Amino acid sequence: MDNEKILKREKLRRMLFSFAPAAGLVILFALFMAFAIAQDINIPYSLKNILNQSVIVIVVATGAIFIYTLGSFDISLGANMCVSALIGAMVYGRTESLVMMLGACIASAVIISLTCSVLASVFNLPVFVTTIAMLSLLNAAVLMLIGANGTGDIIQVPAEAVSSINTIQFKLFVLLAYLAVCVFAFSFLKLGRQEKFMGGNPVCAALSGLNNSKLAICAFALAGLGVGLGAFLTITYAPTLSRNTAGSVGMDVIISIVFGGMPVSGGARSRIYSASIGALSMTLLSQIMLMMNLNSGISQMVKAVIFLLVVFISMNDGRKTILPR
Amino acid sequence: MKSFRKILVLALSFVLTFTLAACSGGGSSEGGSSASEGGIDDSKNVKIGVLVADATGAEALAFRSYYENYIAKQYNVTFMYSDELTDAAAEASAIDNFIANNCKAIISFASSDRPAQIRKCAENKVYYAVATGTLSDEEYAEFKDNEYYVGAIGPDLATEFQAGYDMAKFYLDQGKTKFAIFGGATPYYTDMHIYRTAGMLVAMCEAGGGTYNGASDFGSMIGKIYEMNCQLEPAKIGSVEVVSYIGGYDFDDAWFGKLAEAANNPNVEVLLTVGSGLDTFAAFKQESQQLATVDSYTSDAVAAMKSGVLNYLAGKYSASIGPIFMATLSAVQGKPIRTANGEALALSQGYWVATSAEEAEKFYAVDSSTEDPAYTRAMLDTLFGASYDDFAKFVSAYSFEEIQNLKK
Repeated sequence: MDNEKILKREKLRRMLFSFAPAAGLVILFALFMAFAIAQDINIPYSLKNILNQSVIVIVVATGAIFIYTLGSFDISLGANMCVSALIGAMVYGRTESLVMMLGACIASAVIISLTCSVLASVFNLPVFVTTIAMLSLLNAAVLMLIGANGTGDIIQVPAEAVSSINTIQFKLFVLLAYLAVCVFAFSFLKLGRQEKFMGGNPVCAALSGLNNSKLAICAFALAGLGVGLGAFLTITYAPTLSRNTAGSVGMDVIISIVFGGMPVSGGARSRIYSASIGALSMTLLSQIMLMMNLNSGISQMVKAVIFLLVVFISMNDGRKTILPR
Repeated sequence: MKSFRKILVLALSFVLTFTLAACSGGGSSEGGSSASEGGIDDSKNVKIGVLVADATGAEALAFRSYYENYIAKQYNVTFMYSDELTDAAAEASAIDNFIANNCKAIISFASSDRPAQIRKCAENKVYYAVATGTLSDEEYAEFKDNEYYVGAIGPDLATEFQAGYDMAKFYLDQGKTKFAIFGGATPYYTDMHIYRTAGMLVAMCEAGGGTYNGASDFGSMIGKIYEMNCQLEPAKIGSVEVVSYIGGYDFDDAWFGKLAEAANNPNVEVLLTVGSGLDTFAAFKQESQQLATVDSYTSDAVAAMKSGVLNYLAGKYSASIGPIFMATLSAVQGKPIRTANGEALALSQGYWVATSAEEAEKFYAVDSSTEDPAYTRAMLDTLFGASYDDFAKFVSAYSFEEIQNLKK
């Protein structure tokens, strides 16, 4: 076979793989609609519910894509979100201002996130190592904040205070605004390209003059912004916060990113929209299983099998002789 | 290698497909017989969502078994269970899921944010009931007139206090004076555990003729515990001594170390636990010591009582959630059970207390039966559309003997 043919076939295969996550989402949506119609469920409410349940994970995971593209990961995202939400709620308790609450959520999330990357630079450690240490610190901080607030084991923002912004319109606005920033930074600025290069081949990237620390700081700052917005949206959805708040977010983010077709190793094949596709796919899958009234153990098993399949397929795609292009 | 991968992908796909196919056939029957003599309409399937904070504990599994293996087979209802809910956001999501799936009512075992749960259900015209718990006085005042709030049936805080008090008194009456206490979720400000601990301490104050950091009665003891930020300490209470106190559910080496240290202390005669007695002290308990707990009647608990590992068990019985189911079904089918003023139910239920293996075995035999449980359909049917007084009378007769008498 001549080179042109191989190249053509490879291109076609790549194209199919790149569309696979979106196709999976479409198939899941079709399945969801089929079940919904068959079981006569409340479709408008369900669609609203799917958006409600996906939006926080999409926001946080889209920010995290910048970290994953570098070939790194942040295990402390959920704990960061919990601390930021608690600080935001405490600020609201003292100022009764939603704007101040939003500012506090974002500021604390960005500071925590940046601390991880700066510490990694100072001590010359892999970033994920500092995020592991940060996870322990943040879990302790959660207990300290709750204790310091003196309101038992919870910190609450009055439900009436956030009811006006607990709407799909507001959440979509926040989501789209943040997505626009991320897509711009990832696809239209040097940042995205440099991160892909660094994630794909750190040695070549460093020899080309790219500074890993600077890129990590930018990535963590953008991820922190997402975590802060996620914390704010969490308060609007459920204004009673406890030490368990956002407990599943860290894992949901990882699963969503992988489900959306993002290679776990980062690099050139990273896609900014992976988080959106993955989070929506996961929520649709959960809804389908709920409609089938599967017990949660079986649901988890099904998700685990699908997760393995997706990772298997995506890894299979990445081990070819032709470089990504 | 390539073909191996293909086979692996195919195998995983088959596993997935068959799992889904096998499980999707498990729904409850649609249609069925028409209205029974008691007025219950069995012709339409009623979907009820169940919010759970614990999906794997023995007590949670026993409750689930009663609903799925008895109630769902007796009535034309389908129970949809949430995942294990650990925070208010997860509860809100689960309620949204149930509403989207046309659940007509929600029975809640989760309590991160009950007011938010009730508001969401009421906004969406879905009935809401609390199983095995109660609302605080302030919360009840806020929601008692809401037509979608069915009510709460379960041990109220006075009952929890009494459970702790009775447990400690049982051993104090035997002349025991050296205790170790496991306070469970007391450090997390969980009222249920705080009140049980307070009950134990008050009983010790009465028997020992002393005070616990200056507190000796119900009101002052609760106040003292909150004043100490729910972080209790060992103390001498007159002639009685709390030799050791452990709180929280850290499940790390340090936590297990503290439990072992308490049980290995030769001075400790009795290990009192507000819950999870088998998970905490059972592995470390000395033969000469007594172990008491609040839990549920499971095969493990009965075996522990038989072997002498556990000596006192105040347990919820799984059928205790039968009356709240019937109150919920009644409301869904247009016959809500309300007080004379139209207010929601707020009824207390207590525990079955076993102090011997024979008693525990007797209770467990009834509690674990899926053919003839403590509350059968015939008994529950009498509650459909009942007056508040009749309903309250039924619920208040919760002791094992009273329930057996009701059956006759």
